[in-house]
Amino acid sequence: MEPALRDGDWVIVAPLWRPPRPGEIVLARDPRVPERLLLKRVARVEDGSCTLLGDRPEESTDSRTFGPVALSDVVGRAIFRYAPLARARLL
Amino acid sequence: MFLTDLLSPKTVAYAHCDLPCGVYDPEQARIEAESCYKIIEKYHASNDDHFKARAIVIKEKQAELAKHHIDVLWSDYFKPEHVQKYPEITELCWKAAKQCSKVKGSLEIGEARTLLDMIDKIADVWTKAGGPTATRIPKAVAARA
Repeated sequence: MEPALRDGDWVIVAPLWRPPRPGEIVLARDPRVPERLLLKRVARVEDGSCTLLGDRPEESTDSRTFGPVALSDVVGRAIFRYAPLARARLL
Repeated sequence: MFLTDLLSPKTVAYAHCDLPCGVYDPEQARIEAESCYKIIEKYHASNDDHFKARAIVIKEKQAELAKHHIDVLWSDYFKPEHVQKYPEITELCWKAAKQCSKVKGSLEIGEARTLLDMIDKIADVWTKAGGPTATRIPKAVAARA
């Protein structure tokens, strides 16, 4: 997810109170390994599911590999990076 | 307790799913397959039982490595858009992986040759799909020559 997110970033994730929108970064369960949590950007939202893509398509494993993700597996939305402080900002 | 302990996240999420080195090249599988080929040659040229036993052990290991590299190409490098453009890649990788198992259990040089040819076909698709520029770091001019 570089350059938006880097390895080791500390991020606040808010629970979803509405369906995610394209362009937002969401926290979702990996459809292949449900206990694994992913941060990916929403590309499309359809009925009950969404397509998640990494920002670096050549290096990302995302919906192109594991298919659309059920909205019930989207846990929250990444809203703010609070560390490192120099890069702290709304996402 | 330090403030950073209080602030540090309690949950880890992955923004990438594989180690994103992004380097993929069928040559990796080919070198292992070439090892198998040469080991089979050396096996047949030898009369030393100990050498022959070692040759079998090493060949089985190299065949397994070739299979691993083909699996990585197939599952990590080739993306749906490649498969759409070059639909033959699915069968090529599948058959080559199976051929690795054959080479693992065989001392027929022909089986190793077949594997090399199969890997070369995968390499053709990898090249057509832009693999060399997308995944490799160019070598210094002297090393390329």
